[in-house]
Amino acid sequence: MIPTHWFLILSAILFAIGVCGVLTRKNGITIFMSIELMVNAVNLTFLAYARQFHQIHGLIFVFFVMAIAAAEAAVGLAIFISLFHHRATIDVDEANLMRW
Amino acid sequence: MNPWMHYLVWPLVKFLVAFIIVQGIVAAMNWVERRLLGFVQARLGPNRVGPKGLLQIIADPVKFLLKEDIVPANAETIAYFLGPILPLIPTFLVYCLIPFGPPPTFVAARVNVAVLLVLALTSTGVYGIILGGWASNNKYSLMGGLRSAAQMVSYEVPFGLSIVGVLMLSGSLDLVKIVNYQADHIWNLFPQLIAAFIFFVAMTAETNRTPFDLPEADSELVGGYHTEYSAMKFAFFMLAEYSAMLVNCCLMTLLFLGGWTLAIGGYGLTTQTLQHMGIPGGMLGVLIFIVKVMTFMLVYIWFRATFPRFRFDQLMDLGWKWMIPLALANIVVTGVVVLLGQSLNFQGEVVLSIAGAAIVGYTLYNLRPRAKVVHASRVSEV
Amino acid sequence: MIEYAVFFFFAAVAVIFALMVVLHRNPVVGALALVASFFALAVMYVLLEAPFLAALQVIVYAGAIMVLFLFVIMLLNLQKQSEEPTRPLQQFLGYAGSAAFGIGLVYYLSKYAVMELPAGPFIADARTVGIRLFEAYIFPFEMVSILLLAAIVGALLLSGVRMEERT
Repeated sequence: MIPTHWFLILSAILFAIGVCGVLTRKNGITIFMSIELMVNAVNLTFLAYARQFHQIHGLIFVFFVMAIAAAEAAVGLAIFISLFHHRATIDVDEANLMRW
Repeated sequence: MNPWMHYLVWPLVKFLVAFIIVQGIVAAMNWVERRLLGFVQARLGPNRVGPKGLLQIIADPVKFLLKEDIVPANAETIAYFLGPILPLIPTFLVYCLIPFGPPPTFVAARVNVAVLLVLALTSTGVYGIILGGWASNNKYSLMGGLRSAAQMVSYEVPFGLSIVGVLMLSGSLDLVKIVNYQADHIWNLFPQLIAAFIFFVAMTAETNRTPFDLPEADSELVGGYHTEYSAMKFAFFMLAEYSAMLVNCCLMTLLFLGGWTLAIGGYGLTTQTLQHMGIPGGMLGVLIFIVKVMTFMLVYIWFRATFPRFRFDQLMDLGWKWMIPLALANIVVTGVVVLLGQSLNFQGEVVLSIAGAAIVGYTLYNLRPRAKVVHASRVSEV
Repeated sequence: MIEYAVFFFFAAVAVIFALMVVLHRNPVVGALALVASFFALAVMYVLLEAPFLAALQVIVYAGAIMVLFLFVIMLLNLQKQSEEPTRPLQQFLGYAGSAAFGIGLVYYLSKYAVMELPAGPFIADARTVGIRLFEAYIFPFEMVSILLLAAIVGALLLSGVRMEERT
């Protein structure tokens, strides 16, 4: 049995990598993929603690997170397609109409 | 028993044996398909190499091996190499999970969420096609890859939903338990007739076979995603396609046709009977299984010889507007009947079978040959 | 022992491919690396005795969401879009900040989050999850179904289907 904190550390590293992607990249799709990475890191934490405390609730939360991630992917990618049709780029710096 | 033997060596040996047999069947299927297509289309098919053209099974791989391996100039090299190899891995992994005969001898790995794992593995087969199509740096290949992505994601949904009814009836995700349930009651084909139909159509679409072979539609896209592939890489694409077909036929047999058993209501060749018969019983079970699987493979080829290709919007309409609502309706009806059967104490399977038979009867009645009606405005044209 | 080997191998795979998602310029490579990372995470779920969620992870993420990502990337032909570094200071701050965040988190976890695993097996198969899901969590479950419906409608609307064009 692998102790819980190994999984937590892995999850923390993946989350930090996701944060790094969101902060440094400008390609919208890559930012979106980094968000998915962060969501998965959180899922791993949920499952690790679910096993630690013998709670089934963690698993059900992961189930909901997956469903919401699917909805988010559908809407997000539709937004990027729409953005590409208007600006011919998905660079998030270009989408600055609502900025100020 | 030594745990290493139990958990590593025996499953590996079983997997390798299954793998070799499956590859033999896949190679032979190519010849069978071409001969059968020739028969349907009133021509001969390959008949030159060996008796009845049987040595074609060996001649084709030799030719694939010896041909020049061409890589297009502007291809993405790594993705181009990964494209044909990636879809092989999940398809071969599925063979570990499929029970080919009565357990425990003929199952490499018995998992209690086997159905879900098989679904998961088959759903990743699409990456090779997308990747191959994109890496070839060719418009037709890219179109083929994109079509394949859209098609496989769309048909994944009815594919998964059609299994739910079976799971509700048998109450398990373990393939062995599903087969045993069918031997004790009735083949799921009868109570789950609509689900079986949806499953078969969706699995044809999943493997990009006619009439859903839009990703490789020769009349529009040259060869689709494998236009730029030659020699062994092309052979890998074919291998993956035929292996996936075989996997799907195995699943169809296990989920809807009682797998290796030949029993109804617990009478006949159930798993226990076969296990009592020892080695010959196991062999008999495998034989029954293979006969059922081969029947479906032949239906695949029959499909190819019979139906013209769909248009892409027709394909999407069929998937989203017909298959998914039908599968959902099937889930609701099955759930209600099973629940009523539990509380009112009757066999839900019987009711569902009668309903299925009624639907088939009605459909056949509507499809009966009728005298042709000519509309009044077009009489002059006739 | 073999469990540790599996854990560290797949942890390394997950981290390396996650780094590739963030650092590689080509979004197609990034998407494929993310798929590999998700597969490694599915192995983690199996190690955490949740094979049901591992299968779901592969079906939902690798089988559907990432295919959608790849589809959009190829449809818009994004792999040739270059990304010039316009704001070097902000970018440096981003790298440094996330690195500090990650290191701090790992330090904190390895110092304070070390716990003894409770004895006894943890049963988390499909049956248990399903029963709990449809008993205690039935209302959130229905809410998620409505959310998915809203997402379908929203995606259709956003991706440019004009009702008047369709007549």
